[in-house]
Amino acid sequence: MRIEVIAAQALSGLSVGMVLFLIAAGLSIIFGTLKVLNLAHGSIYMVGAFICYTFTSTFAHVIGVFWWTLILAPIATALVGGLIEIFLLRRIYAEEMLYQYILTFGLILVLGEMCKLIWGVGYHTVSVPWPVNGSVPILGISFPVYNLFLIGCGIAVFVGLLFFMHYTGLGSTIRAVTYNREMANALGINVPMVYTGVFMLGCWLAGLAGTLMPPMSVVALGADMEVIIGCFIIVVIGGLGSLPGAFIGAIILGLLTSFGIFIVPRLAVAFGFILMIIILVIRPWGLMGKPE
Amino acid sequence: MKGFLERVVVIKRLWLAMAVAFFVVLPFLIGEGWLSLVNEMLIMALAASGLNLMLGYTGMVSFGPAGLYAVGAYTTALFLTKTGIPFVIAIVAGPIVAGAVGAIVGWFCVRRTHVYFALLTLAFAQIIWTIIFEWYGFTGGDNGIVGMPVPDLLMSISHYYYFSLVVVVICLILLWMIGNSPFGKILQAIRENPGRTEFIGINVKRYQLIAFVLSSAFLGAAGSLFCGFSDSVFPDYAHWAKSTDMIVICLLGGMYNFAGPIIGSIIYILLSKLISSYTMYWMLFLGIIVVLLVLFMRGGIMGFISEKLSSKIQEIRLRGQYDTGS
Amino acid sequence: MKKMGILVSMLLVMCMVAWGIGFVPEAAAAKKKPILIGHVHAMSGAMSMYGISCATGGEIAIAEINAAGGVLGRPLKQISRDSKLSPETGLRESKDLFLNKRVDFLTGTISSAVGQAISAYAKRAKKIFIINISQSSRTTEELGHRYLFRIDTNAVPYFGYGPALALAQKWADKKIISLGFDYEMGHNGLRVFKEKYLQLVPDAKIIDELWPPLGTTDFTPYISKIANSGADAFFLSCIYGGGELAFTKQAWAFGLYDKMHAVQPCAGDVETWGKVKKGEPYPKGALATCRYPFWSIEDPKSKAFVEEHYNRVGFLPSYGAMNQYFIIYALKEAIEKVGAVDTEKIVDTLETMVLDTFVGKVPIRTCDHQAIMPTWFGIMKFTPDLPFPHITEVEVLRGESPYHSCEQIRKLRKK
Repeated sequence: MRIEVIAAQALSGLSVGMVLFLIAAGLSIIFGTLKVLNLAHGSIYMVGAFICYTFTSTFAHVIGVFWWTLILAPIATALVGGLIEIFLLRRIYAEEMLYQYILTFGLILVLGEMCKLIWGVGYHTVSVPWPVNGSVPILGISFPVYNLFLIGCGIAVFVGLLFFMHYTGLGSTIRAVTYNREMANALGINVPMVYTGVFMLGCWLAGLAGTLMPPMSVVALGADMEVIIGCFIIVVIGGLGSLPGAFIGAIILGLLTSFGIFIVPRLAVAFGFILMIIILVIRPWGLMGKPE
Repeated sequence: MKGFLERVVVIKRLWLAMAVAFFVVLPFLIGEGWLSLVNEMLIMALAASGLNLMLGYTGMVSFGPAGLYAVGAYTTALFLTKTGIPFVIAIVAGPIVAGAVGAIVGWFCVRRTHVYFALLTLAFAQIIWTIIFEWYGFTGGDNGIVGMPVPDLLMSISHYYYFSLVVVVICLILLWMIGNSPFGKILQAIRENPGRTEFIGINVKRYQLIAFVLSSAFLGAAGSLFCGFSDSVFPDYAHWAKSTDMIVICLLGGMYNFAGPIIGSIIYILLSKLISSYTMYWMLFLGIIVVLLVLFMRGGIMGFISEKLSSKIQEIRLRGQYDTGS
Repeated sequence: MKKMGILVSMLLVMCMVAWGIGFVPEAAAAKKKPILIGHVHAMSGAMSMYGISCATGGEIAIAEINAAGGVLGRPLKQISRDSKLSPETGLRESKDLFLNKRVDFLTGTISSAVGQAISAYAKRAKKIFIINISQSSRTTEELGHRYLFRIDTNAVPYFGYGPALALAQKWADKKIISLGFDYEMGHNGLRVFKEKYLQLVPDAKIIDELWPPLGTTDFTPYISKIANSGADAFFLSCIYGGGELAFTKQAWAFGLYDKMHAVQPCAGDVETWGKVKKGEPYPKGALATCRYPFWSIEDPKSKAFVEEHYNRVGFLPSYGAMNQYFIIYALKEAIEKVGAVDTEKIVDTLETMVLDTFVGKVPIRTCDHQAIMPTWFGIMKFTPDLPFPHITEVEVLRGESPYHSCEQIRKLRKK
C-alpha cells in the first residue's frame, strides 16, 4: 500500500472514530459515576442530530448558523437528558441492573418514536459550513477539510474533559462521587445533583456528536441503533468508566474498521464483537478501566 | 355461595385443567386467522418461559436469547431443506443443537457477572446473527430459507396448532418440574444471594451454566416450532429486537411467577396486533408501557395479581380453619 | 356436583367470549360485495414513502374504475397493511388478510425477504400474489411459482443488465471498482452487472469489490479507497435511500464525481433525490437507471397520474405507484375476461396477457410471470424544468434483452 493510501485510510478511520468517541465518552462517564449502562445513549445522539437539523434549517438565513447550532444544540440535548434523569432514572438507581436496562431500553423506543412523530420518516441534510467545507491535498490526495475538523474537535474535547476532571473543583467533586458515593454524601456533597450533572454532561457529549455528524452524513431514524453497538464495543475495549479508555477504544475501532475493509471485508463487522468478547473474558475492565 | 366461590378461585389445579380444555376446544370456536395468532402466542410463551429459567429463576440478565432461538429455528430449517430427515426429528434436533451452542456460549458468559455477563451475551447473539447473515451459501443469508417440506398432516392451521399445543404443554410441564425441583430452588438461591450460596458449597458457576444450557434448549425448541409454523426462517430471528421482545414479555407477565411469561406472551402479542392496526407508533406505546412497568409494576401482571390475591387467599385459609372448628 | 356445574359454566362463558371475538361479523353483506385487494408494504419507517406511494397508485386506479361502474358490477377495495420490513410481520398480516378479511388477491412488498415469505405462503394457500416493488430476481426465477406475478422491473434490468448496457454504450470503461451493501441483493446486483458487462466489453475488469455492512451511513474509508484506486469508473450496487444520500455527500466532499465516471443506478430514484436542491451535493454526471422518469414520458394519462398522486399525498410518485396502478387495471382486465373472481382461471389469463399502459405495451412473460417493463437510463443533471436532479439524455430499454432469458431461468430453476 502506498503511503498516501495509508494516510487517507487512517484519517478517514480517525474522523469516524472521533464522532464515536464523543458518544462513547458520554456513555462511559455516565456508567463510571452513575453505574448505569445507558442503552438509550444512541437515541440521545439521534435527538441531538435532529435538533441540529431543526436549528440549521429554521435559521438558515442567519450567517454562521451552524456555529450557533454547535453551541446551542448540545445544550438543548443536555436539557432533555436532565429531564430524563430527574423524572425517570432517579427512581431506579437503587434497583437491580435488569430494571435499569429495561428502563433505558424503553427510552430507546420512546425517544425514537418521538423523533418519528416530530420529524417524520424522511432523510434530512445539513450542509457543510464555511470555513470547513472544501478539501485539502494530503500527500497528493484530496481529503475533505471537515473530516480533519472532526478529528480536531475530538482531540479538543478529550483534552478539555481531562482538564475539567482533574484540574477543576467540579471535576474533583465528580471524581469523588464516582469513587465513593457514601463518603462524598457524608462530606456534604449533593450527590443527586452531581448525578444529574454528570448525566447531562454525558448527554451534552452525545448532542455534540449529533451536531457534528450531519454535515458529513444524513439525519434519519435508525441513527441510534447504528451507533450504539459501536459505542458498546469502544467502552468495553477502553474500560467502562475510563475517559482515556474511550479515546483509545475509539481510535482502535475506527482504524480497525478502516483497515479491516482491506483485509477481510466480509467479516469486518464481526471483528468488533470478537474483540469485545476477548476483552470481556480476559480483562473485562478493559485496557484502562479499574478492576472492581 | 360466596365462600364456596372463593374456595374455587384458590384451587390451582382446576384453573389449569380449564385452561388446557379451553385451548383444546379453541379451534372450533375461532377462525383460522385468530388461531394462527394463538399458535404464535403459544410458541412465544415457550420461548419466554425458557428465557425465564435464566432470567426470573436465576437472575441472569441475558441480552441474547434470540440468538439461541434462531439457532433452533435454523437447525430445523437446514435439516428439513438440506437432508431428508423426517419432520419430527428435525424439530427435536433444534433444541439439542441450541442446547449445545448454549453450552459453548454459556461457558464464556458465566465467567463474568452483571453488566459484563449481559454484554457478553449481546456480543455472542450479534455474532450468531452475523454468521447467519453473511454465510449465504449455507444459511441463505438475508434471504433466509423459505419453503419447508412440512408433512401434509401438519399443513393445515388447526393441525399445526394441535402439534404446537402438545409440544408446548410438554415443555412447560418439564420447565415446571425443573423450577420446582431442588435444582430449581438452588437457582433461586443463586438469584437471591450468590455469595451465600457459594459459601454453602454450591458451585454457582456450574449451576448458572446448566441453567443457561437448559434455557437455550427450550428457546431452541420454540425456534424449531416457529420454523415449521411460518414455513421460513430469517436472520431477523436472531436480532436483538427479538431478544428484547422476549425480555419485555417476561417482565410484563411477571418474572417471578411460572405463569408470568405465558400471560405476558398472550397479552403482548394481542396488544401489538391491536395497537399496530390503529397507529404506526406502536413502538411508542410499547416504550411507555415498558417504562411504566419498570417504575410501578415490577412484578408484572402475575406479580400484581398474586399480591392482591395472596392476602385474600390467606384470609380464606384462615377462615377455613376457624370454620372447621379446629 | 355443584363445583362441576360452576366450572362448566365458567368454561362455557370463556368459550362464548372467544367465539364472539373470533366471529368476524361478515360485514352487512352490502348490496354489492366489493372485490378485495390486499396490500402489504412498508407503511411506516424509513421506506414508508414507497409503501404510501404504491397504496396511492392503487387507490387512484380503484377510484377511476369504481367511478366507471366497478368490475362485473362490483366495486374494488384495497386494504393496506404494514409489513414493517419484517418477514414475520408481513406474513402475519398476509395471513390475516387472507383468512380474516378474505381478500381475493394480495399485492405488495418492498423488502425481498418479506416478498419471498409471502410468496411461499401464497403458494401453499393457492392465492395470487403480485409484486409491485421488491426487486430480487430470485423471487420470480428460482422461487417462482404459478400464483406469483411481478408487474414491476426487477434487479436484473435495474441493477445489472440495464447499467451494463448503458455503460457499454456510453463510456465502455475498462477499470471499474464496485461498492455495494453486503447482503444478497447487493452481491446479486454486482454479479448480474458483471454477467452482462464483461460479455459486452470483454477486456474490462472489476479491479476491486467493497462491501460495507447493510445500513452503513459512513462511507469515508471506502470512498478514500475508491478515490485512490485508479479506476475509470465506480459502480454502486444496491446503495439507495439514506445510505445513497450519505454516500454522495461524502463522495462529493472528496471530489469523486469529478475524478472518475460514476455508475449509480439508484440515482434516478425520485424518492431519494426529490428534495435535493441546486447547490447541494448530488451524483453529478452519473449514469443512472430509472424506473419511472415521468418528466420524459409524453402520454397525457401519465401526466394526469402524476398530478393526481401529488394532490393526494403531497409528493411525486415512485415507480411503485405506477406499478400498483397497472396491477389494479391488469386484475380488472383479467377478471372481466374470465367473468368471475376465479383464481385458477385468472392465473391462466394473466400469464399470457399484454398490458396496455401509458408507458407502452407491457407483456407478461409466461415462463416466470414477470411483466416485461421498460427501464430508462440517462445522465444525472440539474435542468431548469425541475427543482431536483434527474436523468437527462433519457433512453429506454425495452423488450426481453435486459432481463434473464427463459432459458437462463430454466437453468437456474434446475439447480
